[in-house]
Amino acid sequence: MSHTQDKSSALLQGIVIFVYLAVLTALEYFIAVTFNGVSILAIVAVVKAALVIYFYMHIYKLNEDGGADEHSYEYKTVTNRLGLWLFLLSDSFVFAGLLVMRFNLLGLTRPNLSQILGLAVTAVLLISSFFMNRAETAMKHGDRKGFVQNIIITLVLGIGFIAGVLGVEWPRAIAEGVVPSLNTYGAAFFMMTGMHALHVLTGVILLLVVLNNARKGLYDNKDYPIEAAAVYWHFVDLVWIFFYPALYLIGKLPG
Amino acid sequence: MKKFFASSLARGLLWQVIGILIGAGIVEIGRAILPDYEPFGPFGFSEPAWVLGAFLGGLFFLAGNGSVADWFKWSRGIDTPEEHEEHYHGWEKYINYSLDHKVIGVQYTLTALALISIGGLFALIFRTELAQPGLQFLKLDLKLFGQNGPQLYNTLMSLHGMLMIQGILLGVAGIINYVVPLLLGAKDMAFPRLNAFSYWIAVPGAITLLSSLFLGGFDTGWTGYPPLSTRAPVGMQMFFLGVFFLGWSSILGGLNVVTTVVRVRVKSMNALRMPIFVWAGVATSIITMTATQLIALAFQLVIFQRLFGMGFFDPGKGGNPVLFQHLFWFYSHPAVYVFVLPGLGVISELLVVFARKPLFGYRWVAMSSLGIALVGFLVWAHHMFASGMNEYLRVPFMYSTLLVGIPTGVKFFSWVATLWKGKVEYATPMLFVLGAIIVFLLGGITGPPLAAISLDLHLTDTYFVVGHFHDTIFGGFVFPFFAALYYWFPKATGRRMSETLGKLHFWIMTPSFLVLQFGMMRIGLLGMRRRIVDYDPALGFGSTHIVLTVAGYLIGLSVLIFFYNFFNSMKNGEKAEGNVWNSRSPEWQVPSPMPTHNYDQPFEVVGEPYDYGLPGSKYVEFTSPAKGDH
Repeated sequence: MSHTQDKSSALLQGIVIFVYLAVLTALEYFIAVTFNGVSILAIVAVVKAALVIYFYMHIYKLNEDGGADEHSYEYKTVTNRLGLWLFLLSDSFVFAGLLVMRFNLLGLTRPNLSQILGLAVTAVLLISSFFMNRAETAMKHGDRKGFVQNIIITLVLGIGFIAGVLGVEWPRAIAEGVVPSLNTYGAAFFMMTGMHALHVLTGVILLLVVLNNARKGLYDNKDYPIEAAAVYWHFVDLVWIFFYPALYLIGKLPG
Repeated sequence: MKKFFASSLARGLLWQVIGILIGAGIVEIGRAILPDYEPFGPFGFSEPAWVLGAFLGGLFFLAGNGSVADWFKWSRGIDTPEEHEEHYHGWEKYINYSLDHKVIGVQYTLTALALISIGGLFALIFRTELAQPGLQFLKLDLKLFGQNGPQLYNTLMSLHGMLMIQGILLGVAGIINYVVPLLLGAKDMAFPRLNAFSYWIAVPGAITLLSSLFLGGFDTGWTGYPPLSTRAPVGMQMFFLGVFFLGWSSILGGLNVVTTVVRVRVKSMNALRMPIFVWAGVATSIITMTATQLIALAFQLVIFQRLFGMGFFDPGKGGNPVLFQHLFWFYSHPAVYVFVLPGLGVISELLVVFARKPLFGYRWVAMSSLGIALVGFLVWAHHMFASGMNEYLRVPFMYSTLLVGIPTGVKFFSWVATLWKGKVEYATPMLFVLGAIIVFLLGGITGPPLAAISLDLHLTDTYFVVGHFHDTIFGGFVFPFFAALYYWFPKATGRRMSETLGKLHFWIMTPSFLVLQFGMMRIGLLGMRRRIVDYDPALGFGSTHIVLTVAGYLIGLSVLIFFYNFFNSMKNGEKAEGNVWNSRSPEWQVPSPMPTHNYDQPFEVVGEPYDYGLPGSKYVEFTSPAKGDH
């Protein structure tokens, strides 16, 4: 699965992976509302994460060594990529800590949230990741117009996600009694979604930066910033792959 | 003075004040508009105002002193030159923004020395208070910074802990920053701007941390456990935020070190020919860049609990205070290895130079650093044997803790075997290395008794723990840190520190410290509780406390001698531009002080790093002869 594959097969691969992820997400929802097998939900989340890490975030690129010339763009790209991945590794400890907090405090119960709404925002983020992949592929093959179109769709979906969580989901949760200062259900839900939304917001800013620079005509051969923004965006999606079942699917309602 | 006010440091401080006022102002205006809230509080601003103010203050500091300027240019598509010219000379270099890893290393080290001195001063204050039973001068009718005497004692005791820890983290970063790129033959770190950012964020962090003293203080100790930390004064929040900023410094610095070691070392240096100090730096950085997130998260949750009433650690709302301890110790135990691993690396690195013998078991020593780092992630709950956590967790954590002794033992056997029949030169750095080995050994062998659950339940929260901990940190960090300062001082300045004063420093500090630590353990075994301002005279260790206080002051005196030596030698020290210690390491094969972009000629690794005393063996060879090559 080299990144030197031609454009149509790269786009096709993006579509196939998206279909897999969509099917797995639907399966997850089905399992949750029928028999709620915790271990199966965990396995599905891990499989989804593995697909994203390999096919959307291209973790195998960490194997590249960038050639012998330390001053070349290729060599520096590989160095920067290692730095980025180490940062994501570091960041993932925050989210792992939040998951530990959620399971320690709530155990196998879940906050009283609308599962359909959760599925909807999850779908928005998943679709945005799909378009991010298309944008990155387009730029790799010199298609600047395709890049701009796809990244604008990604941005709209990303902003839609934030608006959905903060504008619809939060007020609805408060109305249902999931209030931050009332109990640990509220505390855990707002802490986790808040921290994730902050990261989505960072991703939106990064996308705006690369969009702006791409329209100025940068990134002709030096397109690492686009890759970095894309990897970060997929990472945010990756976090949600674990947060979504932890908040909306796993466990019974309290009481 | 004019030059100071134009410096990056001064601009940063000015902008930090502006940031505090803006952040606090926003909150106070909001509170004044909302119907149920009163603006302002006993400490000038209300607590939420101080929190947002301190947070924005830190960010404004960085924006104001130019630490993020290049990144903003990049985000607008403007390239910035790769290598900066040196604009400043002399002391001005160190209070201005610089991308040179050597300058940043010195900045880190000086900041670390400042923090450690303040922390040590606090220790002397409360050590004096403890010299006799009863309250000596921190009395109930004392009023200072809104605290009475015992409250001030609590604040000083708590701040002593955290200031020392952060000072040590910065000291570790200082030595790694200065030395690792030189050992790797690199021009600079992998990400010079990130490196500068990591340093500069520590400055507002340290200021925020110190400001807690003036905002009512806090009485939780450096651990900040809830529920006490949810009720302490505003100073608690400053403590959390200060540590939060310093945590960013640690995380980003660690990431930078790992990337540097993997990507920017000379091609001919394969992993098993890297100096031991580089291995130690990598092991340390793996811990800082991952585990630090957990203490940041734990503190953030308490900040939010205090601000928004979110009940993470409030049992009344379904929360769990023990969860905080798990998150906290998941960092704070490995953090101890962050303090000691570079120190142990310094010991291995320097011991061979002064014993004139190959390092015994290079591979085992290299791997033992990684081993300690990995085992270090699995032992955190041994701090919680008495916390009321689930009982089934105790025994596994006891065994994993005892396991730490194995990779640490590997290092000790290597040191002893290296010294065996060596032609030891007792220069000042070597004295500190030997002192480190002895003190760390004492710290190490008092560990297993505390790891054993039954003994720990008896000894927990006594001065025995305090003695053990100070032992490990003096042996693992303080002694090696001084050794490293004496050893690499000529590299940084082109002059060497006075041997006489250095030996005086050593011979005052070491016996005093041994007295201090044995005394602490003794009174601990007799039942002296830690973190208390007063104790029962009937317990019969008043006289030991006097001895401890005297020993504490003697350590302070020895450090003063060090400071005099340090600053005096910069100007008046004996010139030392060659290979002062007769080392094989690449940085000593070129004249001191090091030029801005390190090596004029690249070098190649042609042999093993530590084959001292073997005729004809070489570690590095310069591709064309460098000036002053030996």
